[in-house]
Amino acid sequence: MAISKEAYKEIEDVVGPENISDDPSIKDAYRSQYLTVVLPGNTEEVAAVVKLFNKHKIPFQVQSTGWSFYPPEYDFIFVDMRRMNRIIEINEKNMYAVVEPYVIVAELQAELFKRGLTCNMKGSGANTTALAMSGHGHMGLSTGTGDRNDLATEWVTDEGEIIRLGTVGASGEWFCGDGPGPSLRGVIRIGGVMTKQSTKIYHWGGPTKYALEGNSPRYTLPEIPANMMVRYYSFPTVEKLIEAELKIGESEIAFELMGFCPSMVSSNITTNNEEDFATLERFTKEVQGPGFMVIIIGNFPGDFEYKKMVLEQIIKETKGKSLKAVEDHNAEATLLFQCTRVTGSIRETFRAGGMFSSMMVQGQRYDLHVEWLEQAAVWKRELIKKGLIIADDGQQFGWGEEQGHLGHTEIFCRYNPYDADSFKAVHDWMDKVAKLALTGHYSVPVNSALPIEEIGSQACNYHIWLGKIKQAFDPNLVGARTGFSYVGADTAGAHTLVYPPKPPAKQP
Amino acid sequence: MVVEAKFAKIVGAGNASSQKETLEEYSRDMSFVNPVRPAFIVRPKTAAEIEKIVNLANETNTPLVPVSSGSPHFRGDTVPGTGGVVIVDLSGMKKIIKITRHNRVAMVEPGVTFAELIPAVTREGLRLNMPLLPRQSKSVVGSMLEREPVIMPKYQWDSSDPLACIEVVFGNGETFRTGQAAGPGTIEEQWAAGGVQKTPYGPGPAQWQRLVQGAQGTMGIVTWASLRCELLPELEQPFVVGSANLGKLTDLAHWLVRMKLVNECFMVNNTDLAAIMAEKWPTDYCDLKDSLPRWILFYNVAGYHYSPEERVSTQIKGITDICKQVGVEPVKAAGKVSANEILKTVQKPSGEPYWKLRYKGACQDIFFITIYDKLERQLSIMNELANQYGFQSSDIGIYLQPMVQGTNCHCEFNLFYDPTNPREVARVKTLYTKATEALMKVGAFFSRPYDTTARMIVNQNAASVDALNRVKGVLDPNHIMNPGKLCF
Repeated sequence: MAISKEAYKEIEDVVGPENISDDPSIKDAYRSQYLTVVLPGNTEEVAAVVKLFNKHKIPFQVQSTGWSFYPPEYDFIFVDMRRMNRIIEINEKNMYAVVEPYVIVAELQAELFKRGLTCNMKGSGANTTALAMSGHGHMGLSTGTGDRNDLATEWVTDEGEIIRLGTVGASGEWFCGDGPGPSLRGVIRIGGVMTKQSTKIYHWGGPTKYALEGNSPRYTLPEIPANMMVRYYSFPTVEKLIEAELKIGESEIAFELMGFCPSMVSSNITTNNEEDFATLERFTKEVQGPGFMVIIIGNFPGDFEYKKMVLEQIIKETKGKSLKAVEDHNAEATLLFQCTRVTGSIRETFRAGGMFSSMMVQGQRYDLHVEWLEQAAVWKRELIKKGLIIADDGQQFGWGEEQGHLGHTEIFCRYNPYDADSFKAVHDWMDKVAKLALTGHYSVPVNSALPIEEIGSQACNYHIWLGKIKQAFDPNLVGARTGFSYVGADTAGAHTLVYPPKPPAKQP
Repeated sequence: MVVEAKFAKIVGAGNASSQKETLEEYSRDMSFVNPVRPAFIVRPKTAAEIEKIVNLANETNTPLVPVSSGSPHFRGDTVPGTGGVVIVDLSGMKKIIKITRHNRVAMVEPGVTFAELIPAVTREGLRLNMPLLPRQSKSVVGSMLEREPVIMPKYQWDSSDPLACIEVVFGNGETFRTGQAAGPGTIEEQWAAGGVQKTPYGPGPAQWQRLVQGAQGTMGIVTWASLRCELLPELEQPFVVGSANLGKLTDLAHWLVRMKLVNECFMVNNTDLAAIMAEKWPTDYCDLKDSLPRWILFYNVAGYHYSPEERVSTQIKGITDICKQVGVEPVKAAGKVSANEILKTVQKPSGEPYWKLRYKGACQDIFFITIYDKLERQLSIMNELANQYGFQSSDIGIYLQPMVQGTNCHCEFNLFYDPTNPREVARVKTLYTKATEALMKVGAFFSRPYDTTARMIVNQNAASVDALNRVKGVLDPNHIMNPGKLCF
């Protein structure tokens, strides 16, 4: 048993015997021998068990749907949120939906489509939580980013206190998460457990339900809706691509602009690696340089024609070239479905090599980030030449968000994680690219690649400030792995130095 | 006096004052907050001076109250909440540091007003998403830090917009930059690399700017802020829709904002629109008000670089269809007020005197965030209470601003009154408190609580108060920043 019998029993009293386990088979299923899993069913249970973790000083990790899971190598409680899976409310007139953590975006979006609405979706895809977390994704141009979509939130701190932000704390309503006074939205991603959240929703001009044909993953549509269009454009230079992105954002014509490289397009529309690589080879010959995929949707008569006309004009001015394969009905239909429902993320990332490691930066694409990215791609191509990673021409990607006001820029290597040389090469590349982001004053890189002191000291010592705030809400230091872990990408504790590397667990 | 001399030494004797008349000016505003005379005024000109001031305040346990806008003030947040306060007047920090058309961003010091920034961004082909008719002396940074509603809800993706990044000297005396501005490196190094300070979130999983917004100067002092700007349209076609049925107008507003069809979009009642547009008082005001429908929705359709005429005409057709479904008719004038005049008026700060003061010389606002479903009940309660406390309900100005791309709505009651009439003052004061209490009970959310009602509002949520105090304990551990405000 990883935790004391006394603690186990007290937690069991809260959630019931069927919702706690340290059975070896369960540990295997979660891939950690250090884990005891707890499945709370509501907010009060979450608060109660977190208080018990504090009482017994047991470190805990919480995750909703997750995308990946990095268990620590010490005894800990894993709080699996899968029982909290209800859509609480969809408020059409006031443009928000309220969800529990295990509602996946596919479920919420399916309900929203019926009402002519949609939501922000993280790049990790349709099967991850609908909570408005910190993810960036395909529809960022018209639906913003996770950080900026949350409204009212119910939050259990690392100490087990229930805090209801904004209107939900005042009147039980969900339409605003700020105040009274300063907004605690500023700290809810640093730890604790989000148990309910209201997220912004957006107009959807597409069908209430896609009339899918075929089999997964190659679904297609009998016909493309008359008010929708998908195109992939390549450009002679990255400068021209960025110019086109900027103009499309400023003219407010696109529902989605996804800076796919050809390898991501080929991953999306193919069913296996062999087909994927053959398609990529064909695409690579056809494209003239870097590119992006655009989806436009007309919302009323005349709107589609206007948007299409402006898009064509912008592409002409920037010397863009349409990838013919995407003009094919089946490819266009597949992309339309997959990229508005965001179902292709796993194929784009994991399928080719089994693993991917990514470096991303946030900020406008039109400034220095693309310059950083180009150098990262040069270094990535060296790994391709050595046969250490999947050969996808080293292409990088990104997209404008909020009509180009913000943006996301990313490059990843797909590789075989069981090949030690590949693993080391990719992680060395990550370090090098992260250091370039710092030394070139391009952007604060994701924290996993470099020691947090090295990053924080270049960014107003934010790691020290964050540590102080984290500790203010987690005085017993049990919540290192809570907070920003809902898609499995990161944990708030990794941004600070306050947590010891191996928190002591109370042994039986 | 020894301490005052130390403060004066930081900013220079010419930028410090303890003259009785000057102190008196800062001791009160137009709210119902009790006057408290500050001990001293300093007017720093640089961030370095501000940092020194905050450090000295920590050493000497001197409370500080930052002020960035010029007078008149209305909300009590700059009136000292305790004795011995040093006012840090930032209104002289007027540098427009940078405007970048390419990135649609501007960076300004806290003393820059809307009247000063608008022409500067216009020259770059940009415009501000600004509040409805701010007063001439209103600081742009101050407005954003207060999370004031803005009149183009389509471009307000988040309640923190249009604020992008800030540099802030926290209450403990350390300087911090939020969002993209945090690093790597200095601002100058970021510029040299081709960067701007625009992305608001981070670094790390915190969103630091949210802790300073809405704080009324209780967390630190902002030395500059960057803000997102919008493109200047090439073509604009404003419209008004009048109705006695507010429900129809909120239906229309929902669709206009939901489909991102319009730029400026807000609703006012006839009292407010007449108060905004009247030039000759009181004759114009009465004529205009009589000519107007009970409620007016104003919206503006805009075209940009690519085929602006076609875009505008297409969108107008789309809006026409929506209007038919809702059962309203958009027109180019309501009563004696044209849509074009409204557009010209709301794209600038208020003329002098400030529009809220023209009618009777003073105005007490009651504002909160709500949703359309609750409005009818809230308006009805306000009317009942106005009648109960002897305030002519038809004299209440009402402004409704869809916010955050239609997820909620700012509702504001403007109680115009004569400040020289003690009975009227007493009536408004009572109505203000009673209405706030009653409206809270029917779902009005006072996200930005000020003055005499702030503590009552904030204390409704004890868990939130505890959390805010934990944050405060980190950023301003000695509680030197604006003590006595909110829950601090």
